[in-house]
Amino acid sequence: MKTAAELNFGERGTIAEIDCTHPSSRRILEFGFTPGQVIELFSKATFNDPLAILIRGSLIAIRKSEADCIKLK
Amino acid sequence: MISNAETPVITLIGPPNSGKTTIFNILSGKNFKTVNYPGSTVEYYTSRILAKYNIHAELLDSPGLISLIPDSLDEQVTINSLYHHPRLGTPQLLIATVDASQLSRHLLLPVQLLKSGFNVIIALTMNDLLQKRNIYVSIEKLKEELGCSIIQINGRTKEGIGRLIKEMNSNLEDIRNNGRQIPVPYEQIVQNESLVDTFLEIEKITNKVLEFKTEVEEINLKNANEQLKVHPSILQNNGFTTDEVTLKLDRVLLNKYWGFLIFILVMGLTFTSIFWLAQPVMDLVDEMFSELNNIVLTNFQSGWFTNLVAEGIISGVGSVLVFVPQIIILFVILGLLEDSGYLARGAMLIDKPLSKIGLNGRSFVPMLSGFACAIPAMLAARTIPNRKERLLTIFIIPLMSCSARLPVFALLIAYLVPRDKLWLGGFLLAGIYLFGVTISIIIASILNRFRQKLFKAEDTSTFILELPTYRVPKLSSVLNHTYNSSKEYLLRAGPVILVFSILLWFLVYFPNTNPQIEIEGLTQVEISQIEKSERLEHSYASSIGKFIQPVMSPLGLDWRVGVSLISAFAAREVFVSSLALTFKVTVEDEEANKNTLLNSLKNATIGNTNEKLFTTATTLGLIVFFIFALQCISTIAVSRKETGGWRIPVIQVFVFTTLAYVMALITVNGLKFLGIN
Repeated sequence: MKTAAELNFGERGTIAEIDCTHPSSRRILEFGFTPGQVIELFSKATFNDPLAILIRGSLIAIRKSEADCIKLK
Repeated sequence: MISNAETPVITLIGPPNSGKTTIFNILSGKNFKTVNYPGSTVEYYTSRILAKYNIHAELLDSPGLISLIPDSLDEQVTINSLYHHPRLGTPQLLIATVDASQLSRHLLLPVQLLKSGFNVIIALTMNDLLQKRNIYVSIEKLKEELGCSIIQINGRTKEGIGRLIKEMNSNLEDIRNNGRQIPVPYEQIVQNESLVDTFLEIEKITNKVLEFKTEVEEINLKNANEQLKVHPSILQNNGFTTDEVTLKLDRVLLNKYWGFLIFILVMGLTFTSIFWLAQPVMDLVDEMFSELNNIVLTNFQSGWFTNLVAEGIISGVGSVLVFVPQIIILFVILGLLEDSGYLARGAMLIDKPLSKIGLNGRSFVPMLSGFACAIPAMLAARTIPNRKERLLTIFIIPLMSCSARLPVFALLIAYLVPRDKLWLGGFLLAGIYLFGVTISIIIASILNRFRQKLFKAEDTSTFILELPTYRVPKLSSVLNHTYNSSKEYLLRAGPVILVFSILLWFLVYFPNTNPQIEIEGLTQVEISQIEKSERLEHSYASSIGKFIQPVMSPLGLDWRVGVSLISAFAAREVFVSSLALTFKVTVEDEEANKNTLLNSLKNATIGNTNEKLFTTATTLGLIVFFIFALQCISTIAVSRKETGGWRIPVIQVFVFTTLAYVMALITVNGLKFLGIN
């Protein structure tokens, strides 16, 4: 299953589920990453990490390792 | 039911970047004061609501909060105080700020608050942003869905404040008459409800309350086409599109290649500008105080009291006040960067490099604040959820060159750099900052290897951060904040400096107050100078200084600098005032009317020889000493409190002081070896 960490620049995806075994999963949900939401990879920082992801009209910086637990449809 | 005989408490609460501070400033005017949450060091503002609004209540600001389930230490404190503030009790009323353009994310907190049973009024901000896209929030429907009052506020024009006040008044009146409910901690009721469900609930609400309107009057084909294109994507994105300007800017500022380069440029520019922007003002203050000193010395009868006022108080305090312009400029620039939204980007860009050495992108803002003062910086480290990263950040914060070191560096740089090459001073200062940062990176990476032993904590590292919409910084709020921070700095440092100035003056003036000397054939000026040096030669300070002379000699410095270094352990900036005190009395001025500290230092020699005391080598050695040394009692105290024990602060003092001495030793003797003197 593809995850948010695997998106290409400008690519969109719809969230299928959040891996709730990940310790940051609650915080990720609180930032609005809930199933059904459309996200877009806006940019990556210089060393490819963290990612800037567009969700619900705002820009969220998130580490690749954490974006990895956002599973896409 | 709680009865409310005393002043009601109203708390402002909301997610970061939701316009909370703007509303606080409007309601409180400039009369707020900084207070700590009892039993902790998380700072917040409190104020009486301005008299013109006619509400008798205490207004409390709180740190930005995303949800009622805490993730870091400061969130825990904020949430606990919300339910029961140890001093103020439970607030009668909460004003929850919600950014209308981020409705679906920002409604999470108010929904949790309402479920918890709080009395809430929602202040809906940034409505104009939404209206630009022809989207409107139906206040009536939202009110119906949530069951609390909603007031639209425009932070810039203050539109809606009147209605908010009216609503607050009738709300308080209502609970005065009917009593109120006691909120139940959210974590107790949330157990059988998941976040996903809450968000689904919110999505249902937002779908109901958002209305898409088009201007019917001006239909033209182009417009209609555009709207057709816009609508589907709006709906898909839950009703929200991101600010176009922000996206355009971030295409450059967060660019994979350019982003980091621009970041380094911005930081470099920030620190060089501190030096050259402040220089003219500093010259002015410096001259003012030497003039004042001269006036006192020439116009009053000579004696110990006149001497105390002129040399002890005026020179001592003046030599530190001179650096207030630099401190103010530092606060202004940091404030502008923060307010514009760039600091969050900085945190993102630097996260990867910092995580390599055991830190976090969130360490960036505390580290940056460390350049102003280590104390708020260590408190700011509370936003780092991971304990190990937080402790490591606190550990290296003293290496960030704080504003108390600015006076010392500024003096020593001014001594090294010719007056016609001020730009060089800027570069040198930037170099010092960069050196400090480099050293802190090295130390952090070394400590990171021993982290298991040192910090005894291991939990997963995390970095999720909202990148706020860019906006033109509000100069008034930045200046306001600068004024408060500078005032606080002066109030904290001022008394220490004054006390130490007087103490040092006492040590250099006594016990030999009236030295007996041959006065035959000498002019009045010569007499007073010989008197001065005689007095110092046999002073208490001299005895202390000569005791530590063996430690100072390897650094090419003498006991007078030693005394200043010891007094700097109370607070670094005291170094400058104590240099002023010991050197102005030991050195003869070639130009009597230009009685500045710099001239005194230039003419200082070692003992009775003709060898200059302050050479390029020894001055650079002193700079290096100050880069490393942890000479600040308050910092040590805060470090103990924040790390929960003496372990870390003791290691800090030991490591940094040893490093300071050894590195200064290497610098001085290395330079001498290379023939630079």
